[in-house]
Amino acid sequence: MTTDTGEVGERRLSLPAWRDIGHGAQRQGILLAFIVFLILFSLFSDRFASWDNASTVFRQVSIIGTIALGVTIVVIGGNLDLSVGSMLSFSTVMVVDLHDKIGPAPAMAITLVATLAIGCVNGILVGFLKLNSLIVTLGMLSAIQGLTLIYSGGQNVDITDQEATWFAFFGRDFVLGIAVPTWIFLGLAVVFHIVLTRTAYGRRVFAVGGNKTAAAFSGIRRARVVFSTYVISSFTVFCAALILGSRVMGSQNNVGQGYELLVLAGVILGGTSLLGGSGSVIKTVIGVLILGFIQNGLLLMGYQYYAQWLVTWVVIILAVWLDVASQRGRLFTTTA
Amino acid sequence: MTKTLATLQNLRRFTVIPPIWLFTLACAIFFSLMTDNFAEIGNLKNILQQTSTIGLIALGMTVVMINGNIDLSVGAVVALAASLAVGLQSEIGTLPAVFVGLGAGIGLGFVNGMIVWKTGVDAFIVTLGAMIGVRGLVFLYTQEQSFFAMDFAYSDFGMSQFAGLPTLAWVFLGFTVLMHWLMTSTVHGRNAYAVGGNRDAALNAGIRVGRHMVVNFMIVGFFAALAGITLSTQMGASTPNLGREYELWTITAVVLGGTKLAGGAGSIVGTLGGVLAIGILRNGMNLMQVPAFYVLVILGAILIIVLFIDRQVNRAGVEEVKI
Amino acid sequence: MKMTATFAAVSAIALMSAPALAETMTIGITQNNVGVDSYQTTYERAFVEAANADPNIDVVVLDAGGDVARQIGQIQDLIQQKVDAIIIWPTNGQAVVPAVRQADRAGIPVVITNSQIAEAGFDFIKSFSGPNNIIQGEYSAQMMCDALGGEGQIVQISGQPGYTTAIERQKGFEDELAANCPGVEIVETQPGDWNREKSQRVMENFLTKYDKIDGVYSGDDNMGVGALNAAKAAGRADETVFIGATNFAVGYEAMGRGEYWGSVYQSPVEDAKNALETAKAVASGEEVPFLNYFDTPKITQDNMSEFEKPVF
Repeated sequence: MTTDTGEVGERRLSLPAWRDIGHGAQRQGILLAFIVFLILFSLFSDRFASWDNASTVFRQVSIIGTIALGVTIVVIGGNLDLSVGSMLSFSTVMVVDLHDKIGPAPAMAITLVATLAIGCVNGILVGFLKLNSLIVTLGMLSAIQGLTLIYSGGQNVDITDQEATWFAFFGRDFVLGIAVPTWIFLGLAVVFHIVLTRTAYGRRVFAVGGNKTAAAFSGIRRARVVFSTYVISSFTVFCAALILGSRVMGSQNNVGQGYELLVLAGVILGGTSLLGGSGSVIKTVIGVLILGFIQNGLLLMGYQYYAQWLVTWVVIILAVWLDVASQRGRLFTTTA
Repeated sequence: MTKTLATLQNLRRFTVIPPIWLFTLACAIFFSLMTDNFAEIGNLKNILQQTSTIGLIALGMTVVMINGNIDLSVGAVVALAASLAVGLQSEIGTLPAVFVGLGAGIGLGFVNGMIVWKTGVDAFIVTLGAMIGVRGLVFLYTQEQSFFAMDFAYSDFGMSQFAGLPTLAWVFLGFTVLMHWLMTSTVHGRNAYAVGGNRDAALNAGIRVGRHMVVNFMIVGFFAALAGITLSTQMGASTPNLGREYELWTITAVVLGGTKLAGGAGSIVGTLGGVLAIGILRNGMNLMQVPAFYVLVILGAILIIVLFIDRQVNRAGVEEVKI
Repeated sequence: MKMTATFAAVSAIALMSAPALAETMTIGITQNNVGVDSYQTTYERAFVEAANADPNIDVVVLDAGGDVARQIGQIQDLIQQKVDAIIIWPTNGQAVVPAVRQADRAGIPVVITNSQIAEAGFDFIKSFSGPNNIIQGEYSAQMMCDALGGEGQIVQISGQPGYTTAIERQKGFEDELAANCPGVEIVETQPGDWNREKSQRVMENFLTKYDKIDGVYSGDDNMGVGALNAAKAAGRADETVFIGATNFAVGYEAMGRGEYWGSVYQSPVEDAKNALETAKAVASGEEVPFLNYFDTPKITQDNMSEFEKPVF
C-alpha cells in the first residue's frame, strides 16, 4: 500500500520504467515528423502549400494553440488541466455578453478577473491543498460548464454591432500581413519560451515538475509554483477567449467542449512528458501545428470527417513513437 | 473536525470498506429523506440498471489503472460494439453479432495494449489517439446511421428482470464478483498490483509485464464492449454518438472508489461504491428536480470535496501509524 | 386531498360529458440537450411558463444532456413517478423506442416533441408534435434553387453527425435538390457540429479549396453566420448565397443587412406550447391527430418584415 495522498509529486499516469526521461535528451523526432507530413500533403493537394493556406491554418490553430502554451507549463510543473475547455466557454460567453452591456474594455477587464479567479481556485486546490490535478480539473470541467449555463441562462450571446467595435481587432484584424490571432499565439509562445528557459521562475517550474523530492523546495514554495502555473493557464484561456469571441462575434455555451483533450494532444505531440519536469512551449507550437495541418490537409483532399479522425489516431501515435524511439535509440522496447 | 476525521479513519481501519461507501450511504439516506420516490424498490432497481453501463466499464478500468495505465478509448468502444452488435443482426443473427461486438472490443484492447507495450508510448496518448480514431471507425461503419434491432426480443432482454432484479443489474453484479475474485485471489490480480506499484521490481521478480498489461487492456476492451451491448439492449438500438464522455465519468467513478492514478492501489469494491455514488447522485437530483445546469456544478463540487475528505482521512491514517 | 379527489370524481360523474377534470395532472418532459443552443433553452423557458400559467398542471422538467442512455434512465424515472403523460424530445429517434414501449405498457401516454422517433415506435406513442425537419430541408433547397436560378455549385455545412435533426435536414435538402433542381450541385459536405466557430473553420477551408462557391447551405443559421463570417473575411461574401434551415436572431439580422438570403422560421415557443397542449389533451384522454406538425414557413429578405426577430 503506497501512501500516495494525491501529492503533486507522486502523480504518475503510466510510467514505462524502461524509458529514460533525462531532461537533457534532445527530441527532434517531432520536427522530422512535421516536415514529412507537410511534404506528403503538398504532394497530394496543390492548394495545400500556399501562403494563404498556411496563414489560414496558423489562424485556425491559434485558439487551441494559445491554451496549449499555458497547459504546457502546467504539465511541465507535473500536473494536468482538463478544465480549460469549459473555462474557454465561460470566458468567451462572459466577454461577449458583457461587450454590449458595458463596452469592450470593461468587459475584458471583468472577464480577465473572473477567468484568473477560476485559475486561482484550480491553483489552490492542486497547489496548496495538494489534491490530484486530474480529478480536480475534471470536477472543475463539470462545475464551470454549469456556471456558464447558469450565467447565460443557456442562451447564445452575440455582439450586435460587429462592424463598429474595436473588439474585432483580436480575431479579425491583420498586422503586417499576419493575423492578430497568430501574433497572439506566437508572441505568447516566444515570451513563455524565454520565461521557461531564461529565468529563475522557469527553472523552478521544471524543478517542481521533475524532481519533487528535492530538499531545496519547501512545501510552500512548491505550492506557490504550482499555483502560478494554473493562473498562467487561465490567462492563456482568457487570451484564447478574446480571439474566439472576436472572431465569431458571438458564443455558444459549449463552445470549448472537448478542447481539453485536443489541447492535451497538441502538448503531448510536442513531446512534453505527462510526468512533468520536461517539455518546451516551442515544441507544443509544432505539436499544435501538426494537428492543424493534418485537419486542414485532409479536408483539402476532400476526406470525410471520420477519415480525418482515423488519420489523427495514427499520426498521434506515430509522432510520439518516433519521438520516444529516437530518444531510446531503438524502435521497440525490450521489456518482457 | 480532526476528531471526526480520526473517527472516520478508525472506522475505516476496522472495516475493509473503502471510504466512498460512507459517502454513498450518506447520499442514499439524504435522498430517501428528501424525496418520496427514492427509496422505493422500483427506483433502486432503476439505479442499478442505469449504473450498470458505467459500472461494467469501470470494472475493467480499475484493473488497467491499478497497473498504472489508463484507457480513454472506452467511450468510443462502447459505440463501436453497440453498432456492430445491432447492425449485423439482420445479416448474421443476434448472437453472432453480439460476439463480433465483444470481439471488436477485445481486439481494440489488444491493439492498445500492444502499442503501449512495444512502442513505450504513454497509455494516455495511445488511448487518446484511439478515442478519436475508434470513433472514426464507428462512423465509417455506420455511415452516421443509427441501427434499430428489428427483433424486440433484443430490447426485451435489456428490460427484463430475473429473480426480482433487472437482468442487466445481475450481469453487472456477477462480473463485479468475478473481478473482485480475480483481483484478490489470483496470481494475475497480485501481479496487477505489483506492476502498478513498482514496475522495475515487478520485472525483476519475473513478471512478464508487457503481456500482463496487454491482457488488462483486453479486459477493459471486453468490458467496454459488453457495456455497449447491454446499453444497446436497453435501447433496442445503437447510435454512433453513444458513449461520449463515458471515459471521463468512468475514471471519475474509479478514482472516487479509491484507485490511485499512479497505480498500485485500488479495489473493485471501492469502484462499485464510486459507481453507485455517481448513479445515486444523478438519480436523486433528478427526483429532486435540481435544474440541469446546477447538477453540473454540484457533481463537480462533490467530486472535489470527496477527493479532499478522502485525502484528509488517508493523511490522518498516516499520522496515526507514525505515532 | 382526498376530498378534492372525491369531489372531482363526483363532479366528473355529474357532468359526464366534460372531459377535463379539475384535478392536477403531472406531465414529465425529458429534453435533448438544453444549453447546447438557444432554441432548446427558449423552448424550455416557454414550456415552463406555459405550464405555470395553468394551475392544474405540474411539470417535471428533465434534460438528457444529449446522452441517449441518460434519457432512457430519465424516462424510466418518470414511469417510476407515475406521471400522467411523458413528453420526449428524443436524443435519438431509434434508441428511445424500447423505453417508450415501456411507458406505453405502464399505461402512460407519450408525446414526442420536436424530432420524430423511428417508425417502429409509432404504435407506442399518442402523438408527435413539432416541426418537420425534412420539409425544412426541402424548403431550404427550394430557396437555394430560386436564389441561384437553378444553376450553380454549392457547399453544405451539416449539423453534428449522427443526430436525427442533422440527418433529416440534410436528407430533405439533398433529395429535393436532386429531384427538382439538378442544375445545383453540392460539391462537398462537412459537419459544422451546430458550432459557429467550427463552421467558420470549415468554410475557411472550403474557400481555400474552391475558387467558386455560389451557395452555402447550413443546418441552422448559427452555422450559416459562421460561414458568412469566413466569406466576409476572405472578401468573397458577395458572390455567395447563404441559406439556413432554421432561423436564428443572428441570421435574421444578417438578412436585414442583405448578407444572408433566407432560412426557415421555426419558433421554439410554438414548439413548446404545441407539445404541452398535446400532452394535456392525451393525458385527459382526448383524441389528437397523430402527426401534429406546426407551421415552419420560409423566411427571406423579401418577407422578413412579416416575422418577429427570433429570440434565440
